[in-house]
Amino acid sequence: MKDDSKNVVDMDGMRVDDDHLLSMYIDGELDAERTISLAGRLKQEPALRARLSAMENSDRLVKKLYASQSADAGQALAALIRSENVAIFKPTARWREWATGAIAASVMAVVALSLTSEQSTFNPMTMDVHLAQALEHSPSRASGWEQLDGARDFRSVLTFPAADGRWCREFMLAHNESHWRGVACRDEGTWVNQVVGSEVFLERETQYRPAGAGDTEKVARFIDETAADVALGPQQEAALIASGW
Amino acid sequence: MSSLTAQQRQDLIDELPRLKRFCLSLTSDPSDADDLLQVTVERLLEKGMPADAHVAKWSHRVCRNLWIDEIRSRDVRNRYAQAEGAIEGAGTTTENSDESVQLDRVSAAMERLPPEQRAALVQVAVEGCSYAEAAAILEVPIGTIMSRVARARKALTEDLEWKAEREA
Repeated sequence: MKDDSKNVVDMDGMRVDDDHLLSMYIDGELDAERTISLAGRLKQEPALRARLSAMENSDRLVKKLYASQSADAGQALAALIRSENVAIFKPTARWREWATGAIAASVMAVVALSLTSEQSTFNPMTMDVHLAQALEHSPSRASGWEQLDGARDFRSVLTFPAADGRWCREFMLAHNESHWRGVACRDEGTWVNQVVGSEVFLERETQYRPAGAGDTEKVARFIDETAADVALGPQQEAALIASGW
Repeated sequence: MSSLTAQQRQDLIDELPRLKRFCLSLTSDPSDADDLLQVTVERLLEKGMPADAHVAKWSHRVCRNLWIDEIRSRDVRNRYAQAEGAIEGAGTTTENSDESVQLDRVSAAMERLPPEQRAALVQVAVEGCSYAEAAAILEVPIGTIMSRVARARKALTEDLEWKAEREA
């Protein structure tokens, strides 16, 4: 490739190199004048021809790759679309539980309130001094548990700033083979549960509010709608805990 | 805007293969792409779309926004997740033909591309969109599409050449 042929200017006034020119040539996005010019160069420059051929081969492979991976696209979905019955969708998606929706934060507050009012029996997620102390002092971790009060195991998952200026923590509790997930926010020195949901219900589920399929999703949605930024890193979180929030 | 019209449903069905490829271009993971496609369709059926909406553009926008939401959720959630080991052997097959080896290579190379470059390349090179059409779907300027496609092709081509030379 000749040096003086590089760094020409494209239609928007941007400087582009030969790779950009070849790419636009492949896509038919070069104007007539530059197409003719490039075609002339391709005849005279074997290296440029080889580069074009390599790019076209890459394109061919990418097309083949995507054709093979999308060959079975949507057979089942097509039937569902035709059925006009949205309710028969099942929550099969592995990450679906994290997908956000347009549920307002006020709805989440109602969820939290209803949990409190409906549970007459022991609720492991009820905020008490043990849970509040753990939220106040325990660092987040990716795995493992710390014993809370003999009946419950606790794990803080992450700490994030809420849009209203409060610090919030997502946490998990394990109790009697059930896992619970929730978010509590620190409101003027007091930890208050914002949203809670169960992850696993075994025999004892009737003691609690029945598990909605979207319970974990509600926690995720709350975080998504409330967080003003990404979660703190370990050092930032340690400094925050040490400073007393 | 509570449900889709019969025509919109048919258009959406016709759009599914292309939407699936778009999901793949965003996620670079077949399982994630399947999930994203399902959630996208579910959202479209639940929320509907305006009567005069362009089904392809509308569905791509919904899909893209759902993926952005997912990325954000993962970003928050993965902060403390243990580092996952490298996915050894991803995309490989036991077949030993040149074509399958090449497809394995291009699959791995596509996965290494920045997501925005991968999405632009798929819209143009796979779907046959003009730069203007791809720009409308991905909601970026035409010049950005040109640049992303060129950089993607350059990186992909050099990646494949480098691998071929190394394994020769």
